[in-house]
Amino acid sequence: MLRTVKPRNARSKRAFVARQPKEVEDPRTCIFVKGTHTGEIVTQAMKELMALKRPNALAFNKKNEVRPFDTASTSETTLEFWSAKNDASLFLIGQSTKKRPNGLTFVRMFDGRVLDIIEFGVEKLVGMAEFKTPKCTPGNKPLLHFASDLFETHPRFIQLKSMLISFFNGETIESICLPGIEHVISITLSPTPTTLTTDVTDTNPEDLTSLPKVHIRAYTIKLKASGTRIPKVGLVPMGPSLDLVLRRHQAPDPDLLKQSLRRPKLKKQDVEKGVGKKRKNMEVDEMGDLRGRVHVGKQDLSKLQTRKMKGLKSRFDEEDVEEMDVDQEDVEGMDVDQEDTPLQTKKQRT
Amino acid sequence: MDVSSILGSLGNTLQDDTDLEEGNYILDTGYLTVTNTTPIDVELYNENIDEYIEQNARDSTQRLIGALFRLPTTSSPDGPLAMLPPPTSLLPREKPLPKPKELTKWEKFAAAKGIQKKVREKKVWDEEKQEWVARWGWKGKNKEAETQWIHEVPANADVDHDPRKVARDERKARVAKNERQRLQNLAHASGSSSKTSDRKREIDRTLATTRVSTASMGKFDRQLEGEKKPRGLKRKFDPAEASAEQEKQSALALLSRLDSDARKMRKNPESNDSSALNVRKAIRSVSKGQGGVALARKLDSGKSSKKSRR
Repeated sequence: MLRTVKPRNARSKRAFVARQPKEVEDPRTCIFVKGTHTGEIVTQAMKELMALKRPNALAFNKKNEVRPFDTASTSETTLEFWSAKNDASLFLIGQSTKKRPNGLTFVRMFDGRVLDIIEFGVEKLVGMAEFKTPKCTPGNKPLLHFASDLFETHPRFIQLKSMLISFFNGETIESICLPGIEHVISITLSPTPTTLTTDVTDTNPEDLTSLPKVHIRAYTIKLKASGTRIPKVGLVPMGPSLDLVLRRHQAPDPDLLKQSLRRPKLKKQDVEKGVGKKRKNMEVDEMGDLRGRVHVGKQDLSKLQTRKMKGLKSRFDEEDVEEMDVDQEDVEGMDVDQEDTPLQTKKQRT
Repeated sequence: MDVSSILGSLGNTLQDDTDLEEGNYILDTGYLTVTNTTPIDVELYNENIDEYIEQNARDSTQRLIGALFRLPTTSSPDGPLAMLPPPTSLLPREKPLPKPKELTKWEKFAAAKGIQKKVREKKVWDEEKQEWVARWGWKGKNKEAETQWIHEVPANADVDHDPRKVARDERKARVAKNERQRLQNLAHASGSSSKTSDRKREIDRTLATTRVSTASMGKFDRQLEGEKKPRGLKRKFDPAEASAEQEKQSALALLSRLDSDARKMRKNPESNDSSALNVRKAIRSVSKGQGGVALARKLDSGKSSKKSRR
């Protein structure tokens, strides 16, 4: 594999540090790889997707023999090598064969190893150029829209959603410039077939005809004044528009997935902001001061320390109590609490 | 009249928003993502796919934009910045979490004592020169004692006392000490056991051995104050109930040990040599521990004298 060399000067050290794991990660870089044969459609589809993914995209223009689903081949090590070399953790492999025409394969990596793979077939493609409409700025962050209940229920589509968020928008950002929002990418499924609606677990996962199609569309957003703070949204098709069918897939290895889903510990600041675990009775006021509320338990006044006098000592206590008991027997319906009243009050009474 | 119409239109737009609230939308503003979980309408879909998708996308985007515009904002030269909450959906990371940096010995101590880190300025004020000079490095303040042209020499100093050399050696020793500590911290952070810890363990083991190496096995030795009782091996017993498979394995292991070569050797040592005499032992005994060669030499040279003496 790749040699790991200790950086010897400041520039190479900066480059080295930039590749080290970070708590808040950069967007994933995607490598677009051509397989042994790519038809016109696949080539164009990759070009269009690359236009959306730019600038975090890298194109391999030569043909490469990669078959990510073929575990017997060296494809996996090849992918790992490319990933390490280019510091990229996503691959889009285009491959057209007689058995699987116009195939697009998304490969996602974690820690330099293949995490999961999804394969699509391109059924229909309309490029950006065919829509004579304004386009978004390259590198602008898209909004994402998923439409179907399957994105929450069916494992294949949960994986698909996760993969596409990783591909288009998998970056944690703190803030976004509201007037800078330019486009939305919509991923819609075709109507759910009845075989899927009846019972999800019953269907054969390899029976691909039962799975609905995936429509990927991109629109530019026009914000119109609505009279309120929230503008009205108008959409203009921008392209590309892709109709895809699901083919093979490889689910993530549970151990690797568990590792990859580990989150950093929340910072103290976040906890105070209320992002993390809720802290009771604590709040940060407008001045930035931490304010707390303290609940004091109910006070037991009988144990209150009063003035210390010889006459109030406990050894003088017993006979008084006996006297009190005698007194209390006479009085009907005496309150129980009053038995414990401090000594001095008793004294006054006797 | 005008006002009422305006209010009416405002009411309508508000109504629109609340309508959208009711749908099955899952928002993840951290990833700018909206999921519409309403099942796809077959009729509308079949009528015109693209139009249906666009309509669906428009509704969802309206919802998402609404949520984004409702977020707290800060102003920037390019317009309002919406402060996004952290994402709710879990995405796999690209690389594992970074390992926390190992603290140095000083940092640990400082944390325990609550000592705050303060930044030392690089320049210090030189009263004599009336200017700021570097604390260290070229023309550094720390080399002052070495570079000044006149020195105070103590009265009892040696003839060859060189105050410049003394100052320089002190400085060099400080640098060397710092470097040594840095390397120790590095070694500690990398997790390899250091020399000192190895040595400590060795000393502990030796001490434990010597304590039981007296005639009374340490029983009647005078104890030092604060000396702890030596901790021996704790006896461990296998559970009385074990699975049949485990029992079988342990029994087989025992049997194989009974029949092992080592045991056979102990039973009848040197089975190939039939004589009862242990030659090696005999030679050692006769030569009084000096060996066979010495014995032969002695026999050769001092046959007569030995005899006469006897």
